[in-house]
Amino acid sequence: MSGPRTAYLLNLGVVEYREAWDVQRSLAAAVSQGAIPDTVLLLEHPAVVTVGRLTGAGELHLPAGAEVDVVETDRGGRSTYHGPGQLVCYPLLDLNRHGRDVKRYCRNLEEAVISTLAAFELAGERIEGLTGVWLRPPPRKICSIGVHISRWVTTHGYALNVDLDTRPFTEWITACGLDDAAFTTIASEVGRAVAVDEVRPVAAAALEEVLGLAFEELPADEGAGLWSQPTHARLASR
Amino acid sequence: MASTVVDVVMPQMGVSVSEGTITRWLKQEGEAVAFDEPLLEISTDKVDTEVPSPGAGVLQRILVQEGETVEVGTRLAVIAAAGAEPSPAPASAPPQAPPEPAAAPERAEPEPAEPGPAPAVPGAGDGRSFVSPVVARIASEHGVDVARVPGTGHGGRVTKKDILAYIESGGAGAPPAPAAAEPAAPPPPGPEAGPAPTAAPAPPPPPAAAPGPRVPPPPAEAAPPPPAPPPPEPPAPAPGEIVEPMTAMRRGIAEHMRRSLDTSAHVTTVFEVDMTKVVAIREKLKPQYQAAYGVNPTYLAFVARATIEAIRNWPWMNAEVRGESIVVKQYVNLGIAVALEGGKGLIVPVIKNAEGYNLLGLARAIADVAERARAKKLVPDDVQGGTFTITNPGGWGAIIGTPIISQPQVAILDVEALVKRPVVIADEAGNDVIAIRPMMNLCLSYDHRLVDGAYAAQFMKELRENLESWDEATY
Repeated sequence: MSGPRTAYLLNLGVVEYREAWDVQRSLAAAVSQGAIPDTVLLLEHPAVVTVGRLTGAGELHLPAGAEVDVVETDRGGRSTYHGPGQLVCYPLLDLNRHGRDVKRYCRNLEEAVISTLAAFELAGERIEGLTGVWLRPPPRKICSIGVHISRWVTTHGYALNVDLDTRPFTEWITACGLDDAAFTTIASEVGRAVAVDEVRPVAAAALEEVLGLAFEELPADEGAGLWSQPTHARLASR
Repeated sequence: MASTVVDVVMPQMGVSVSEGTITRWLKQEGEAVAFDEPLLEISTDKVDTEVPSPGAGVLQRILVQEGETVEVGTRLAVIAAAGAEPSPAPASAPPQAPPEPAAAPERAEPEPAEPGPAPAVPGAGDGRSFVSPVVARIASEHGVDVARVPGTGHGGRVTKKDILAYIESGGAGAPPAPAAAEPAAPPPPGPEAGPAPTAAPAPPPPPAAAPGPRVPPPPAEAAPPPPAPPPPEPPAPAPGEIVEPMTAMRRGIAEHMRRSLDTSAHVTTVFEVDMTKVVAIREKLKPQYQAAYGVNPTYLAFVARATIEAIRNWPWMNAEVRGESIVVKQYVNLGIAVALEGGKGLIVPVIKNAEGYNLLGLARAIADVAERARAKKLVPDDVQGGTFTITNPGGWGAIIGTPIISQPQVAILDVEALVKRPVVIADEAGNDVIAIRPMMNLCLSYDHRLVDGAYAAQFMKELRENLESWDEATY
């Protein structure tokens, strides 16, 4: 029985969506050639609507004057919303080392989120055919999943609603293309304010457990040479 | 015709994944496509995956349009090899496509079922739709999780024969063992040597290792390759043994080395070089370079410079076997194998366009990449695109090595220790005398698929001459 595999963990704080995307892609390149081990990014995004490959017409209905970026991404899934108060997790894993199975990978992400929610005494569930994590009844979505794979290396991941206004999921977009879906957060379920800082270590531990990893946490600037310098310089200058 | 056309098929994206949806064609019919270039994107569950092209040529015909969902193994498109006559495409795709995963988005070994899947996850997958009632019955009688059985049927489906073979092999009743995929072989004990073991791995997986372009696609009814038997459970450590997991980098190196040996026909040739002149010039330049530039003109830099010069006349040393083509590079991206401290692994940073550097520039570039490699400051671009690699175990006193080629390159030069040895030379009167000379062995491993012995020897002869008659004006 071999032990867990070392992986890097980077807590990046609040990072603009496109900037984080650049970081993901350059780190994923390094992961894919074995220059660095599997790497997991935990962060939050400023308010942004992202559109996946399968986003349908009519999913976006931003109110005039809404202060939000719209970004077209390469992840699977449809439209979604990110904002401060949502824990975003981007595992950059070489699935050659985790069983080359995209469904199992999605189930593993769900498992990690369910186990994270359990620490807050919430019973997250899967709903067949609706990738993500839900609470019910009635069904309320608490975590969205969307993944991109290139040469078996993953980018994107999950977004767990910790404490944020969920109205944009329905008022700005028809998130995930689900017309009648309700969205919820950990805070509104447990009835108190919950900080992303409180959830992050729990989420990291759950990922270690489910994916068989042992995180070595790097300070955000330790990644210096790991990604393209301009992005790094911006991150380091914070 | 069969040898000039490559099928693109829906790849297997997991044991419980039976189908995928085309989300986007990245190339259109009639467009040229390079081997391994992203060709289309498919979607399964909430995962989008790029599928690289299994061959080089022209995307002759797209058989499945965007938005359509098809089974694993279905023919998606046909690529006509470059230079092939355009051939009339079949009117429709045969439903039973070759199971050869030519377009699988990975490095392409025929994929036996995952040897050690993760513990079953509640609600995971929809494997049932994938299993015949007979197989399901046998599985439940023997307490076998079908997901663990290597499938040889269409699209990786588990057949009755597969499950019986699996039970026969002792797979039944085995405890769920994710560790099976991770043989816990301990790395060699003892202090890990510093830089440059004999072999130089390149981190990037070699596209050339994919079977795509070299192997004509099998006829549609060909049986898929038999799956490897499930790997045996690693034995528990015995008393006195210490077991630790391989790091990701260690595994990467292990995989690359093995794959390189499986890909190239390795031959090693050894030349001994009299470094008298280089030693003298280096002694002269060293204080100058250090005072003026803070750079040490190492023997490695001299050898690198002389090698690049020799490559000019022997271009196949700086080439690649791509499918059935020989691709010669008109630039030299020189990889320098660097070991990381504490035996943490090996990385091959690349000096781009090294043909443009003089001795000073090369010495500086080598020092720079080696330092950044050890400080983990390399950017991904720094380790990609090498065309020729030099490894340097001589610093530790090694005198002969048989390095492993860094794929997809075709040659790697091993720079050995500089040793004073008695050698027979001619004195001024033409008589044989024994002299003490600083001698260095250079060992070249080359890929005999492309380079023959005479060619390699002539390259090495020129390299030796470049060093023995070092011309300061040129270098």
